[in-house]
Order: sequence, then C-alpha cells, then structure tokens
Amino acid sequence: MTEEQKKGSILVVGGGISGLTATLEAAEVGYEVFLVEKNPYLGGRVAQLKYYFPKLCPPTCGLEINFRRIKDNPRITFHTLAEVESISGSPGNYDVTVKLNPRYVNEKCTCCGDCTEVCETDIPNEFNFDINTTKGAYLPHEMAFPMRYVVSPRIIGTDDAKKCVEACKYDAIDLEMQPQTINLNVGAIIWATGWKPYDAAKIDNLGVQYPNVITNMMMERYAAINGPTQGKVLRPSDGQEISRIAFVQCAGSRDENHLPYCSYICCMASLKQATYVREQYPEAKIYIFYIDVRAPGQRYEKFYKNIKEDENIFLIKGKVAEVQEDPSSKDITVVAENAVTGEKVQETVEMAVLATGMVPNTADTKLPGDLKYDPDGFVVSDLAQGGMFATGCAVKPLDVISSNQHATGMALKAIQTLVSS
Amino acid sequence: MADSYLVEPDVKFVKQLKAMGGDTLKKCYQCATCSVVCPISPEERPFPRKEMIAAQWGLKDKLVGNMDVWLCHQCNDCSTYCPRGARPGDVLNAVRGMSITEYAWPSWLGRIVQDWRFFWLLLAIPVAFFLVLLGATGYLKIPDGEIEFAKFFPTLLVDIVFVPLATLWLPVTFGIGLSRFISAIHKNAVAEGKAKRKDVNVPDFLKSLVCTVPTVLGHSKFSQCTANKDRYVPHLLVFYSFIGLFVVTNAFFVALYILQVPGPYAQWNPFKILANVSAIALLVGVIMMIRNRIGNKDNASKTSYFDWYLLLLVLGLVLTGGLSELTRLAHLTTVAYPIYFAHLVFVFCLFAYLPYSKLAHLVYRTVAMAYSRYAGREPCE
Repeated sequence: MTEEQKKGSILVVGGGISGLTATLEAAEVGYEVFLVEKNPYLGGRVAQLKYYFPKLCPPTCGLEINFRRIKDNPRITFHTLAEVESISGSPGNYDVTVKLNPRYVNEKCTCCGDCTEVCETDIPNEFNFDINTTKGAYLPHEMAFPMRYVVSPRIIGTDDAKKCVEACKYDAIDLEMQPQTINLNVGAIIWATGWKPYDAAKIDNLGVQYPNVITNMMMERYAAINGPTQGKVLRPSDGQEISRIAFVQCAGSRDENHLPYCSYICCMASLKQATYVREQYPEAKIYIFYIDVRAPGQRYEKFYKNIKEDENIFLIKGKVAEVQEDPSSKDITVVAENAVTGEKVQETVEMAVLATGMVPNTADTKLPGDLKYDPDGFVVSDLAQGGMFATGCAVKPLDVISSNQHATGMALKAIQTLVSS
Repeated sequence: MADSYLVEPDVKFVKQLKAMGGDTLKKCYQCATCSVVCPISPEERPFPRKEMIAAQWGLKDKLVGNMDVWLCHQCNDCSTYCPRGARPGDVLNAVRGMSITEYAWPSWLGRIVQDWRFFWLLLAIPVAFFLVLLGATGYLKIPDGEIEFAKFFPTLLVDIVFVPLATLWLPVTFGIGLSRFISAIHKNAVAEGKAKRKDVNVPDFLKSLVCTVPTVLGHSKFSQCTANKDRYVPHLLVFYSFIGLFVVTNAFFVALYILQVPGPYAQWNPFKILANVSAIALLVGVIMMIRNRIGNKDNASKTSYFDWYLLLLVLGLVLTGGLSELTRLAHLTTVAYPIYFAHLVFVFCLFAYLPYSKLAHLVYRTVAMAYSRYAGREPCE
C-alpha cells in the first residue's frame, strides 16, 4: 500500500474477523489504526473454526493474509491482552485509556515450547471450550498471531512459573511484567467486540449434562486439525468413532425463553459440520432436526441442496425437545415430532450437536462508551452522531462474509468522522 | 406430495378461538416442541402441534370433532417450553370451549352460555321462574318461626323443578350433544388415521369407558403435568366434592320420599357430615382454582369468560349453600331465606346449563378418553 498517511486515527476494539477487516480497510487507505484485542491472539471466533462455509476452506488461510497485511502496514498498532478501560471526548477527539495485561512472555520467544515441557499445571483450554487442558505456559493455538507463548496468570507466583523461566533458553519469560495503561487519542472508534456461544446449560431439555451432547463450536474444535483430537470427530465419553450423529438446530435461538432472534449462522454451520462427519465417516448416518433451514442466498441455497441430495444425511422438520442418555452405552436419544408426517421421531445416536446461537459479548458487559443497545444486548450505532460505530456480531448475528462487508462499511463511517471533524 | 388439499379457512372460527383464550395461536411457527414436551400426548400423531396449524388455518372440522383436544389436560408444559409464546395449552382449551358449543343442543343456548353479555340473563331465568312459581303457589314471603327452608320453598316445588331438570332435560340435551360429539370424533379419528379400528361396537366402547374411570378418579393424567401441577389438588378437591354432594343429594331424596324423613338433618348424620366436608372441600378447591388463575404466574393458564363463568357459578353455589346452613343455624331469618333462594338459582344454573358450560368437560373428556382407548390410541391402564 502506498497511500500517504492521512490525518486522524481510529481505534478498533476487537481483533476478530470484523475488527481485522475494519483495521485493514482504514489503514490501507492511509489512516492510523490502533487495534486492541482482549485475547492473547488475533483472529477471534474464526480462528476456532475448521472450515468456513460455503467454500469449506480453513480459516487460517484468510487469517494469514490479514496478518500479513497487518505486519506490512506501518500505520497499524495492535495490542493483545488489551481492554479499553475508559473513553472521554466526542466524535473526532476521543481520549481512550487501554489496559494492557501482562503476557509474561516478551518478543524474544521463539515458540520452542520448552516452557510448556517443564510446566506441570494444567489449566482449562478456553480456545477448545475446555474440551481439554493446556499447560500453564502455552501457545494459544498453532496458528496464533502474534506467534508467541503466554504464561497464564493462574501459575504466576508458583514454582511452576519459575521452572518455565529456567527452561527458557532465550530469556523470553518475564514474571515481573505488570499491567500497563496506555492513553490514545483517536477521532473514531469501531467496536468489533464479537460474540460468544449461547450458554447451553441454560437449556434444560436438550441434555447438555450428558458428555455426548456437545455444542456446534465444540464440534468445530473436534473437527479442526489443531483441535483436541487432531481433527478426528470422536465421541467425548469414550473417544470412539461414530456412526450416527444428530444435529439439533435452534438450540436456544428463535426462542423467547432463550434468544428470541435467529442466530443466522447455525443452519449453515450444521450443514457444514455434516460434511466434516461425511468426510471422516462415509458410512455415518447424519440426522439434522430443524424448524426451518435458513440457507440464505444463492450460494448457501446451493450448499443446502447438495446436502439434501446426500443419502446419508436426513433432514427432519421438527425441533428436538427431549434428549435422553442410555446410562450404560452413553448413547443419546433425541426426540422430535416430524411436522411433515405428524409422527414422533426418536433417533438414537452416538453423539448430538446442539446448534447454539450467538450472544453478543455486550449482552452482559456494557462497553465503556456512550452506546445504545437493543433488548438483546446488540449495539445500536448512532450513525447520525458518528464517532463510534459497532460492527460485525456486536451489531447482529452475521456470517464471515457479511461481517467483512459490514466492517468495511463501518471503516468508511469512521473515516467520514475523521474527515468531517 | 401427491395429495392436493384445498384449505378453506374459517376466519370466523379463528376469531372465536382467539376470543375464547386462544389469542396467541397465530404466534405458532410449527417447531413441534409442544408435541414432544407434552407429558400425556401419544407417540403416534401426537398433539398439539397439528391442532395449532389447524387453528391458524381455521380448519374447524379438524378441531371441534378432534378427540385429541380432549386428551389434553392443559398442563401447559407445552406453553412453558413454547419458543414463541403461542400457548398451545390455552389454544386447545379454547377449542374445547368451541367444541362444547358446537355440539350443544339447542345450539342457541350453547351460544348464549358462551357469551358474557348473557350472563345476567342466564341468572335471571331461574330467578323469574322461581318468583312466578312461588307467587302462583302463595309462598312468596318470609315465613315466621324456626327456620325451615321447606316452609319458604316447599320441597315438592323444588323437586318439581329439579327432578325433571335432572332426569329429562339433562339426559335429552346432553344425549343429543354427546351423540353428535361421538360420531364426530369417530369420523375424525378414522379420517386422520388415529383410530386403529373403524367399526362401531357399543359393548367394546362401554368396556373402554369402564377402564377410563380409574384414570378419571385417580386424576392420573393430571398428575403427569409439570408446569401446571398446582392445578392437580384443586381439581381433585372440586371433583370429589361434587361427587360427595351428588351422593348426599340422592341420599336425602331417598330419605324424604322413601324413608319419609324430612330435613333438616342433624349435624352428626353421616350424610350431613359428608355434605359439610364436601362443601368445605369445594370452597377450598374453587378458591385455589381462582387464585391460581389470577396469580400472575408465567405458566398459569389463560382464563376466558367460559372459564370464569363456571368458576363464578361454583363459587356462588358453594357460598350460598354454606351461608344458607350457617344463617339457618344462627337463626338469621331475614337473610337465610334469600340466601337459600340464591342457592337454588345457582343450582338451577349448574344443572340447566351444564351441557353448554365448561362443566360439560366432565362428560366430553371422559367420553373422548374412553374413545381413545376404544380406538387403540391409548392403552387401558
């Protein structure tokens, strides 16, 4: 990019696909951009996926390009383990304080992994939705960017942490790192704070208490090559291969008792995940229970059509409303009424995947800015006032392509604020 | 699908259902959660999802003559889990109301009982009738001396009214309604493949009726409800107190005409004790029912005029009955007789309008449950 530096700077909060896109779109036309991300890596939810739909290519592909563009762009400054603490000012002139949490690992890290070798403490692996554990000194995931280890605050002050320091040949671990606060002055802020999966434990009739009932995001981790099973879909209770699986659509979405809205991506996600199973287990029978299959647009419709033609995939119109477990075999029986035939259907499968929906991260924790929210916690941007714009799944449930488009639009809105102030 | 089917929506029927407590029916989006979470719905062709789409489309024929709406006990587990707040349990309750009205004979009386604007007319009919009866026989005055209700409203006059009501009016009107109802549910069950047998066999049906009795007496369907389990106890109280009062009424009839022993009877008389216990149980039961309905709980059933009509009637019945006895024992002559008069008015309403009111469910539901066993939809317990 050869554009000259333009006047004004933008803060992007959230380093998922929307935040990355907004950052790059604004920086590549010449604006200074600060990107802050609370995780120790960029890439957000997309980094946790095995494949994108509908192209079925791994997200690392698209993320790598974005990371390359970030590295190449001198106008982008990004901070991981960072959170916005406070904001004051008005459109065109915001003073922002950002807290940088210690990583305890500096830029000398070569990712040799010696610290992990000596560390004995196991901590839940959040990147894998706690399916497995990781050591107290760890790399968030194989494709993490920045490619640098992290020492968990959980082991700070323990002998384990000291062992890590001793094991590091490169003097890369610094247990004395303290939280820092930095001040930024920016003209516009883009909130790309993203989403989290709906807490399946709140759904009391879909068997979340059984080990062989998992969520769709857990399924991504099982299927992903850098996941807890190295990409092999195995059932959690005994690690056995599967021959029958059920997908339970609208697990908490389109439901006044949970999320009243459609989470938009879950139908395509389950259709996509059916292909994961299909690929690994050509004989496996796949049952998808749905209210309506929402595969919007010509490309998704085509994807759905191909799935429908698969003789091992059965689409049943009827929401699963009861799930049982056989205590000895740990098999799962899902119960629905087939609304086309009017008969009750019971399918016994080895595992069931709940297609849980999207909850904006802003549903529980409000952002430190003057923002409005809809009743479900999504941010409602005041486009007329300008200055602050939400994008991606902070605004509404979106797929990756729509997030990219939305983020590009919001980058333009942010630039308009800079230009007009 | 090979079969084509021309939907002819009965919009008026949809509006009536909405007015009777089914106003949420259009919210349903056919996810079928309800049919699965229902604790008492059969495995084959379960309800109430199919009833919900029939209600939305105004397919009256698929609803009023549908035994399944009577197998529903309004647990409202479906409404609790319904993702749209479509409240299938309340919609089916509205359908039952429409069903009672549909098969009522004479049908105009069915429509009147269902319509709140005629509530006072329904009460005024027995009031006027009794006033004329008492006036014509010269009894229209408060008698002197020890309170004896027979001095005010002679037992013979009471029986001239109520014996034909119970032995002629009820069997004829209810009989006509019921025979229409049974032929409708049979036709519907055969057409929708819910009946395993298509023939009509009266002895077999009676056998099914007999095997339904323990279910009804034990309220065993009711006890499977989760969301609305609060309804089990009051319904049981009201049910058994009505049985108790029915036994008492018959016993006193025998005492009067066969044993020639006129009332009032002593308080220690076992039938008097049964009467008093039943009255208290009825009062407690009906107050619990009313409290459950006005209590602002999420899963509480919606209450339409059709429900209120019966609740108020039963409340009036038990209050005037109890107060008649208490004011008599307290020698409050000026209030005891009018209260007794009011009590007879409520008794008349209960009897005369029984086939048209919600109380008809006692018969319709029992018959539908028996038919369901006859047709092999549910097993005999």
